[in-house]
Amino acid sequence: MNGVVTGGWNFVIAAYGITVAVLAIYGLTLITRLREEKRHDAESDRY
Amino acid sequence: MPRRYPYVISSALLAVAIYFGLAVTYVDQYLHADISLGLPVAARTLIAVLSGLIGAAIYLAADDLKSPRCANRLIFTGVILMLIGTWFGLFVAPPEEFMGDVQRIMYVHVPTAWNGLLALTVAFVCAIVFLFKGDWKWDARMEASIEVGVVLAFLLCVQGAIWAKPTWGVWWDWDPRLTTTAVLLFAFLGILALRKFVDDPMKRAIWSSVATIIAYVDVPIVYFSVRWWNSLHQLQSNPNTVSKPFWIPLRANAFGILFVMVGFIMLRARIASLRLETEIAPPPLEFGEAV
Repeated sequence: MNGVVTGGWNFVIAAYGITVAVLAIYGLTLITRLREEKRHDAESDRY
Repeated sequence: MPRRYPYVISSALLAVAIYFGLAVTYVDQYLHADISLGLPVAARTLIAVLSGLIGAAIYLAADDLKSPRCANRLIFTGVILMLIGTWFGLFVAPPEEFMGDVQRIMYVHVPTAWNGLLALTVAFVCAIVFLFKGDWKWDARMEASIEVGVVLAFLLCVQGAIWAKPTWGVWWDWDPRLTTTAVLLFAFLGILALRKFVDDPMKRAIWSSVATIIAYVDVPIVYFSVRWWNSLHQLQSNPNTVSKPFWIPLRANAFGILFVMVGFIMLRARIASLRLETEIAPPPLEFGEAV
């Protein structure tokens, strides 16, 4: 024990991986929801 | 004023932010040249932060919630900046003296914290503007910025837990900074739930605006918690306390997440605006009804 953290790349990869995954999934849900809302809007305009 | 002027001004401000926040540092550290125009570090940092924030604010306020083109451009630029920040953070910046490679988590954790609190600040401003002006666009923007803020606050807690395990020995501790952040996450999650449960658009907008203003009280508490109470979490850093090799990954990711956050808010506000249009539109006329 010398007060220095050794290794830990698995934690770094986990933090970056989760960040990328969450932002990517959220971005995809936005695209999907936007398309759905546009379709819904176009349908309600038609009637 | 032509509609594209605000976008030109905000793009110019964001370019100034990138120049003083990133380009000057990169050229100084890797090309050993000075393009700082004679400005000291503190002034450059202040210009970068202010122009970034004002540019982002103009983008959000000028968005007519009709076309996703600007949002897509911002997200694309943000992703490029995050790729640069990640490259520098993982492969170029040296390991920190005591935390070693684990400290590389800082390059995503700190920018996520800054932008998460910023997204909730945008929600707070939108709530106040909606209550004064009653314009539905601000309600849509408030819903969008709360949701994006909650996503970033969730990420913040997860990244913090991953960093805490190798450095503090535990995944979670009821430390003031962590506790107030968790309260913040659940308070704004509650406001999103409130918006789901209330059908009347006007009641929903007013109640959630008031709730947002109340919940926002926790944002400065989160920020100052490390100064007000004895905390395991370290104090806020500034350019004088962060080593120069750490600046590029930290700033590239900060600007990257800022651009992505603004783009996400614009897209999400468009979704909320389309739904609101349907909700507040007058019912269709019956066949034969007089106009």
